[in-house]
Amino acid sequence: MVQNHHRGCHRQGNHETVGESKEKRPKFFINDHVDILIEILKRLDCRSLCVAASVCRLWCTIARNDSLWENLCFRHASPPPTSVRSVVLALGGYKRLYMGCVRPVRRRLGRARRASWAGDEVQLSLSLFCVDYYERLGGSNSNGRLVVGESSPSSSLMFLCKPVNV
Amino acid sequence: MKRDHREISGATDYSSGSGSRADSSSIGNSIKGKLWEEDRDAGGMDELLAVLGYRVRSSDMADVAQKLEMLEMVMGTAQEDGISHLSSDTVHYNPSDLSGWVQSMLTELNGPPTPNLDPVLADSDFNSSNPQHRQRNQSRVFHDDSEYDLRAIPGVAAYPPPKSDPDSDSTRKRVKTSMSSSGSDGDGSGSSFSSPQENGIPGTVTESSTRPVVLVDSQETGVRLVHTLMACAEAVQQDNLKLADALVKHVGLLAASQTGAMRKVATYFAEALARRIYRIFPQDSLDPSYTDILQMHFYETCPYLKFAHFTANQAILEAFATASRVHVIDFGLKQGMQWPALMQALALRPGGPPAFRLTGIGPPQLDNTDALQQVGWKLAQLADTIGIEFEFRGFVANSLADLEAEMLEIRPPEVEVVAVNSVFELHRLLARPGGFEKVISSIKAMKPKILTVVEQEANHNGPVFLDRFTEALHYYSSLFDSLEGSGSGVAPPSQDLAMSELYLGRQICNVVACEGMERVERHEPLSQWRSRMETAGFSAVHLGSNAYKQASMLLALFAGGDGYRVDENNGCLMLGWHTRPLIATSAWRLATTELDKSI
Repeated sequence: MVQNHHRGCHRQGNHETVGESKEKRPKFFINDHVDILIEILKRLDCRSLCVAASVCRLWCTIARNDSLWENLCFRHASPPPTSVRSVVLALGGYKRLYMGCVRPVRRRLGRARRASWAGDEVQLSLSLFCVDYYERLGGSNSNGRLVVGESSPSSSLMFLCKPVNV
Repeated sequence: MKRDHREISGATDYSSGSGSRADSSSIGNSIKGKLWEEDRDAGGMDELLAVLGYRVRSSDMADVAQKLEMLEMVMGTAQEDGISHLSSDTVHYNPSDLSGWVQSMLTELNGPPTPNLDPVLADSDFNSSNPQHRQRNQSRVFHDDSEYDLRAIPGVAAYPPPKSDPDSDSTRKRVKTSMSSSGSDGDGSGSSFSSPQENGIPGTVTESSTRPVVLVDSQETGVRLVHTLMACAEAVQQDNLKLADALVKHVGLLAASQTGAMRKVATYFAEALARRIYRIFPQDSLDPSYTDILQMHFYETCPYLKFAHFTANQAILEAFATASRVHVIDFGLKQGMQWPALMQALALRPGGPPAFRLTGIGPPQLDNTDALQQVGWKLAQLADTIGIEFEFRGFVANSLADLEAEMLEIRPPEVEVVAVNSVFELHRLLARPGGFEKVISSIKAMKPKILTVVEQEANHNGPVFLDRFTEALHYYSSLFDSLEGSGSGVAPPSQDLAMSELYLGRQICNVVACEGMERVERHEPLSQWRSRMETAGFSAVHLGSNAYKQASMLLALFAGGDGYRVDENNGCLMLGWHTRPLIATSAWRLATTELDKSI
């Protein structure tokens, strides 16, 4: 779309129809090239990604994809072993991990952060994430099936939600 | 004028009136001020002074009053002469040492005291223990005296005032100002007698005094609060229960003028002291599920338990580095909050997760629910989710000493690596003689690769009650401070905070009020645990830098994270608030000599 408008400017503000553009020059519409779109969105930071999710339905679907959030989580850290993915997905997914743990942890540690901590931040976030999942497990109901509460944030992560006195 | 009434003796209706007026002053420092008030309010002074503990004959009263009046005039002139420090300094006097006080005042002002003052004071039947008091530690604010009855203590204990006066600490300053105002007025008699009436009513003195009155100096009240608490504890130690009772009530008053952590700590300690005095002992194992709930809130509010779990887990993880089957024995399973993090770390271990077996030990539940099984069930669900082979066994035991290693079905070390974990559990064993040794021998029979111990870093197990009390006061003050710090300014005091404080309050109650087998919160410092473990045949395992790093990061996450400190102490990690270490994690393995013995 950016490219679209860019090309449009060259045309003296003349709003071109699809038919016209096909005759004149090949149009580049990013939504036609989802793989490139994904590559671009992969490199966005959290806020931009959330903004991007409200652009159009396609972007929204892509932004919700967990692999993008996986990249966000491990951006500054060394790539994790493959076993991490299955564990994280089982515990609720990377988006949840990022929003619930990694982002507040990174923000809190921002002041006191040291370079060597990047990988450990994710480790710590993973542990907290796991504790959070465990807390949300709740008790078994009468059928013996366990209920996982999705909506309510468990209290073990509440300390991350509270704003810090700077 | 009130002075005329002084001659009247036995006017008992005055005693109640002046008694209530006297309530406005706090115990220690303004006994002197009270003395002034009592005198001026007059009435049956012989009885009144007897209430104070001075046995002064009615016939002598006129002389005593005269001397005091002279003193007051001298003080007034001193004020005019510019020796203002005498009327503004805050000083502590021994209230029963009247003659000594008067002497010192006069010496400061006039050189050797006037001769007619001394014989009167020497003659009157002052408390026989007076000279004895003088020899005692003069820095004490007041003295223990078994002849005091409850009415001797001005304050709530004797005659609960119609309106309570929390600003009692400023009374003394007000008294001083009244004297100074009388001095500046030059009218030795009139204003000095009118102002004490106003002393009973807080705040009104400001109009009559010529100097600005410091109202509540909460720092000073805080100091006084601590002094009163200590005095009460000492009274309890000396079995002077009447005095202790009066003091405890006074602590309540003083605590009301404080805010925040100090107030809460004082309230809990006062309650515990009251329980000790009245022998209403709290039942320790009233409801384990209730304590579990409280501990959960404590877990969420502050980092102590999280620190304990994370550092212990790190030590266990390192011990399990190459094992394919692992067995953890948890001496206090509670809600099992420690284990999800360990399981996750094991799941992500390079080389794949081991088979994880957990044995949890807990107290019997009152309502016969199997709390341990429920926790085990939850952990099993988690293990299933993250792909770990999991096995759980729960043991109900009243005390760890009831356990035998054979019950736990330990498998040989080649098959399974064992870790034993104890978070705030070992100190309870010290209540029963021989309990600790028995548990240690059971642990040795389990042949663990590592034993992780987390304990409070405090000395609450000394033989002398007063020392324990002092230690506990400092320890829990720091703890409550840190709780305040972590929730500060963010949200209104949450339920979490209140529950955490209640959790700590129960510990306080146990440390102060209980004795013998009931007193289970027998905290000991790391150095003592070290010697115990080493005598028992364990050697320390250093908790590496990973644990330190994780702990530091964890603490940085908490609001108020600046106050928390992680320190390394010979391989053990200690978490503290500012300069005070509060809990310590240590790891132990069987010393090689022990291993040789078992082979």
